[in-house]
Amino acid sequence: MSLDKVLKYTSASKTNPYAFDDDENFLKRDVTDNISHFDFKFAPVLKPAEFAKSHIDVKSQKDSLIKLAHGTTTLAFKFKNGVIVATDSRATSGNVIASQTVKKVIEINPYLLGTMAGGAADCSYWERELGRRCRLHELANKERISVAAASKLLTNMVYSYKGMGLSMGTMISGWDKKGPGLYYVDSEGQRIKGNLFSVGSGSTFAYGVLDTSYRYDMETDEAIELGRRAIYHATHRDAMSGGYVRLYHIKKEGWEFIGLEDVEDLYYKYNNQE
Amino acid sequence: MARRYDSRTTIFSPEGRLYQVEYAMEAINHAGTVIGMLCDDGIVLAAEKQQSSKLLESSLDGEKIYEVNENLIAGVAGITSDANLLLNEGRLIAQNYLQIYDDNIPVEMLVKRLCDIKQGYTQFGGLRPFGTSFLIAGWDEHVGFQLYQTDPAGNYSGWKATCIGVNSSSAQSLLKQEYKSKSEPSSSDQQGATGTENASDIADDDTPFSLDSALELTCKVMTKTLDSSKISNENLEFATLTLHNGVPKVHLFKSNETDALLKKYVPEKTTPKE
Amino acid sequence: MDIQLGLAGKDFVILLADNQITNSILTIKHDEDKIYKLSEHVVMSVSGEPGDSSNFSEYILGNTVLYNIRNQHELSVDSCAKFTRKELANALRSRSPYQVNYLIGGYNTISQKPALYRIDYLASIAKVEFAAHGYASYFCYSIFDRMKKPDLTQDEALDILAACVNELTRRLVINHSSYTLKLVDSNGVRVINGEELLKRTSAK
Repeated sequence: MSLDKVLKYTSASKTNPYAFDDDENFLKRDVTDNISHFDFKFAPVLKPAEFAKSHIDVKSQKDSLIKLAHGTTTLAFKFKNGVIVATDSRATSGNVIASQTVKKVIEINPYLLGTMAGGAADCSYWERELGRRCRLHELANKERISVAAASKLLTNMVYSYKGMGLSMGTMISGWDKKGPGLYYVDSEGQRIKGNLFSVGSGSTFAYGVLDTSYRYDMETDEAIELGRRAIYHATHRDAMSGGYVRLYHIKKEGWEFIGLEDVEDLYYKYNNQE
Repeated sequence: MARRYDSRTTIFSPEGRLYQVEYAMEAINHAGTVIGMLCDDGIVLAAEKQQSSKLLESSLDGEKIYEVNENLIAGVAGITSDANLLLNEGRLIAQNYLQIYDDNIPVEMLVKRLCDIKQGYTQFGGLRPFGTSFLIAGWDEHVGFQLYQTDPAGNYSGWKATCIGVNSSSAQSLLKQEYKSKSEPSSSDQQGATGTENASDIADDDTPFSLDSALELTCKVMTKTLDSSKISNENLEFATLTLHNGVPKVHLFKSNETDALLKKYVPEKTTPKE
Repeated sequence: MDIQLGLAGKDFVILLADNQITNSILTIKHDEDKIYKLSEHVVMSVSGEPGDSSNFSEYILGNTVLYNIRNQHELSVDSCAKFTRKELANALRSRSPYQVNYLIGGYNTISQKPALYRIDYLASIAKVEFAAHGYASYFCYSIFDRMKKPDLTQDEALDILAACVNELTRRLVINHSSYTLKLVDSNGVRVINGEELLKRTSAK
């Protein structure tokens, strides 16, 4: 069998001579119903979902073939002047730091931000797809999509792939008619509305700092500093988080990039203050 | 002129008519008469069987009135084979509802579902409308006793007393006079499609309108409507729907019961309609 | 570690659920309402697999609302529960079963009786006087058995739930700081302040 034949071996489309009846029904129900235009390559095995489950490192399976970058600290919180979104920038692969300059904030459109934790490819792919759908919504309805609706779109998309190896923990934040909006969405199909979230291996450290000082009626400077501090302290204690603190502030006019700060510089800055 | 517009049901004539549907309704007007009547404690259905030959063996069970469900009976006017198909669907719909909700199907829901099927055959290409009208008597806990009439177009309406089939207009006017005097001083006896009321609302005057008096009135109207001089179980069928301790009870009259009923309410010397 | 309790009284039903959403050792939300209002006289509390519980519940909710609009009357508690069970049973034998547990409570306005159903992820259904799911069941069933009586009043029912919450606070390793309570009777659904219940607890 030539390589292209193997590659053609894609989803269980009607024309695919290798499609298994069993899988065809399965895909029809779970995937094609909702997202008909996607044509993903599935593993050429009887049960692609089972295969994905056992070979993709969703929850630190040591001997898995495909490893996902896990170490991350991301956070987002609402306050009186909008939403603060902050992330670290480290990517690890096993015990190697693969990159110190990863952009873990995904700019869906000028009013919506998504964060990246779990599978980087999953996050960037689905949030890009989300961006496309949000734009279509805008064209169809002549108004911007709400944060609630955008996050629901994303949840519905990933929920239809539940159990097939997606790994994604993201916060969808933005500004709509109702003001600042913030939702936690993950690949389990969970979607939670809230004022304050943190996701990733460093999230517990970030929560510690955030919960201690967080108030809804903070001033903008104070809020930005809280985001910065929380990420910084998380990178300090979590080996898999590090690099730079990336900060965004979402306001009525859309998001604004605050800056990228080396955690090493922050370390000396904060230590010299004392 | 009409030729061009009646070969297919899906085509409107320039006058905005659907000839095939109208012809189907015309077919009903030649079918055996069916009378339905609400009373305080139940519903009576009566139907005329048109005999084609003396030699024909009459079927043991009725051929004009059928049980659809525990709480539903239907009287048929029109093409029996068409009706059989719809009754089968109706029974299936009722059982399906029971399986899902563990409860008897609400009467109007079943009527609506049957009419949806009928309607489909007046719109989709190459199909012939059902040549059948029903009188459907039913009880549910939401509305109580209800009597509906359906036509081949898929319209349905709720009634206190009504009649379909041959001579239905004369029977209708007779019902209008008699039912009014028997039960209530209201001017109109039609209720409209959704405005079916509980049977107890009907009798506004003091004297209750019992099942027996409804049977008597039905017999009276039937004998006056019938073309045939001989009146017996050979050409008449009766059924009642009543409530026993909150549970609906269907009673399809056996031939001896029909005879007994006729003996009780029809004067020995019946003069045929001139 | 979700807490789900339900009690059927003389002419009412109460459901109680905790307000936490957890992700392994983390609590990611403290004030989630896990009791869906299906109609004016039916409520449903849910626990189980994260994505499934909201997705399947929203499906049930949507279908119930659709039924009510289409038929101009409310689907009874009993039918709501049977419908939910059926959908769950159908999904159970499919490639993607839903891992969710339900308590469905309500007041049947026609028979004028309250009803409480316990449905688990294996789609078994039971009409009961009181019910619990998860770890709470190990602590609370004995309390129910001890304190139950025929024709329970609302006050007595709240006392029982207070005793349950009290015991859970004392003995369960996970502490739940707040609860949602919803009561259904002939007047419809009423939210009972969870703080009030906790006060009842401390007063004992």
